[in-house]
This record gives sequence, C-alpha cells and structure tokens, in this order.
Amino acid sequence: MNGKRILLWDLPTRLFHWLLALAVIGAMVSGQLGGNLMVWHGRLGIFIVGLLAFRLVWGLVGSTYARFIQFFPSPARVGAYLRGEWRGEGHNPLGAFAVFAFFGLLTAQAVSGVFSNDDIAFTGPLFSLVDKAASNRLTGLHHLLSNVLIALVCLHVAAIVYYGRVKKQSLLKPMVTGWKDGASGESARGGGIVALVIALSVSFALAYGASGNWMPPPPPPPAVSETPDW
Amino acid sequence: MKSKLLLALLSITLTGTAAAQLKPEDAIKFRQSGYTFMAWNMGRIKANVEGQFNKEEVIKSANAIQAIANSGMGALYLPGTDKGTGWEKTRVKPAFFTDKEGVAKVAMAFNKEANEMAKVAATGDAAAIKEQFGKLGAACKACHDDFKIKQ
Repeated sequence: MNGKRILLWDLPTRLFHWLLALAVIGAMVSGQLGGNLMVWHGRLGIFIVGLLAFRLVWGLVGSTYARFIQFFPSPARVGAYLRGEWRGEGHNPLGAFAVFAFFGLLTAQAVSGVFSNDDIAFTGPLFSLVDKAASNRLTGLHHLLSNVLIALVCLHVAAIVYYGRVKKQSLLKPMVTGWKDGASGESARGGGIVALVIALSVSFALAYGASGNWMPPPPPPPAVSETPDW
Repeated sequence: MKSKLLLALLSITLTGTAAAQLKPEDAIKFRQSGYTFMAWNMGRIKANVEGQFNKEEVIKSANAIQAIANSGMGALYLPGTDKGTGWEKTRVKPAFFTDKEGVAKVAMAFNKEANEMAKVAATGDAAAIKEQFGKLGAACKACHDDFKIKQ
C-alpha cells in the first residue's frame, strides 16, 4: 500500500450505483410479493430506465473511471488479466464483464417489463403497443431473467466479500466515499456540469418514454346513464 | 342375447353422454373463459380504485369474481386436460394435476379472498376495497407462480 489517494468514482457514478441497488432490490421484492405492490414495481421499473439511460451517457461523457472505454474488456486487456499482468484502477476486465452483464440484463428487464402483463390486473406502461401473445412472451422472459439477475447480484456481492476477506481490498469504501487509498493511477477527471446536464436530460427523456405518459389518455368511461342496466 | 344387446347399447349411450358432457377442448375453453372474465373484472375494480370511484361498478365486478371463484372450476381440470388447446394452448403446469394439496391450498386461499372482496365491495369503503383488491391479486399470483407456465 505505497500508492497515493485518488478520486476513483465520481459522485454521479456513486449515486447511480446506490440508487440502482436500492431500486433493483425494491423491484425484486415488489415483483415477488405482487398485489398492490405491483404499482411500485412499475414505478421502480421506470426509475431504473432513467438510471440506465443516465449511466449509458455517463459512460461516454463521465469522469475517467466511469467511461466504458476506460474499462471495456478488450481481448488484450482480458489476456493480460488472465496472465495476472493487468494493472489499473477501477473495473478490472472481469468486473467489466459484470458491469456489461448487469447493463444488458437490466435493459432486457426494462424492455420486457414495459410491455408485460400478469394476467391479473397489472400491465406494463407500454402494454397497449403490443398484442397479448407478444406481451405474454415478454412477460415469460421477464420472469426467466429475474432469476438470472438474482444470481448475478449474489455473484456481485460474493466478489466484493472475496476481495475484502481474501485479497484485503475494500471495494465498498471507494464506492461510498469515492476515494481509494494506495492507488497507482491518477484521480478521475472530466464529467463536469455540462456532461451531467446532458446525461440527466437523456435520462428523463427515456424514463418519460418508458412511462407511456406521452400516449393519448384512454377515452373516459361512459357516463352511468349510458351504461346499460344489464 | 337381448339383455346383452341392451347392456351394450346402454354402455355406448353412457360413455357417449359422458364424453359429450365435456370435451377436453371445451373444458380448457371454459377454464380460460373464467379466468379471462375475472381479469376483466379485476381491471374494472382497479380502474375504480385508481380513478373515479363508482361503488356500483365495484360491486358488480366483485360479485362476478366471487361467483366464478365459487363455481367449482376444479371440475374443469379433467384427466387429459393437462395438455391441449382451448381458445389458446393451455398454460397449466403438469404439477397442477399431481400436487393436489398445493392446488387446494392456493385455490381455497383465492376463494377466501374473492368472498372477502365481494363483502368489502358491498360496504363501498374505497380504502378497504383497494387493500382487499391487493390481497385478491396476490392470491391470483400465488397460483400463477406455482401452476401457470411462463411462456
């Protein structure tokens, strides 16, 4: 530990991470319990769409270690990692695979979720854009992938515990404070206010799109006098 | 000879009627119709709980669900209807036909909540209706989780 102290994860990245963790846990619990919690499952889903959109843009215009290009698991990097020669800060190539796996899984969950239905009373916000058979297939996929997601979350937590206990390296602390001690690289740079505004704009736009609020409201139910007595 | 013929005729008639009573395809259709009709009424209660509340609408919906729940739909799960097509391919899991205890448990729980839904609807208490609607939906889900194939 003869390195220096660097800023590893910028504040937006950390906020994204913890909000996503809370939202995903909330979505898993509400989805499993069902009932009136499905309303919250839907809201959390739209919130997660916003978070993913934010991270996607932040991966392009955010600060050093948040950028996809910084940790993209290229064959050269993976090769070096497998030979034990990879040196760097932030996501290592294996961690990078986990990042993209999370990203892909959650995107699939969001897309399948907005078109889903539960054959009870819940429909995703964009359900009306597809037919029932397609919605059923997407719902099936949503259920299937939720199990894969749970497995990946467990793996993620297990890896952090392994790093802490066995490799004596706290991954948790930098994700909370942003700072890493004994680092070999430089502090993160970039990801200023302009980048933040762009990322947030895209985030809100996609969340709005997923919410279905842009669709014309359904026609109001007929007045009681127009409803036949039978 | 005569009695044998009579017996043969009788047995043909009897088995003929039994088959005519409920073809597997029809049994599956009736099942699917029941659930679909309940879904319409669940949607109606939901619309009333979330939007403009109309007590009469909720009562009609809750009574319809209660009636279907208590109609003895279990009779439609005849042997041989674990696979087949009604309005669409059945989505019942094979476990439904083997795990009698598990099915009874979720079915009884659903009936209880459906009866309670009708009772609560009659009071017109919007908050209580919303809460019971959630419980009823969860009871639907309990069976879907265990016995409905996710496509």
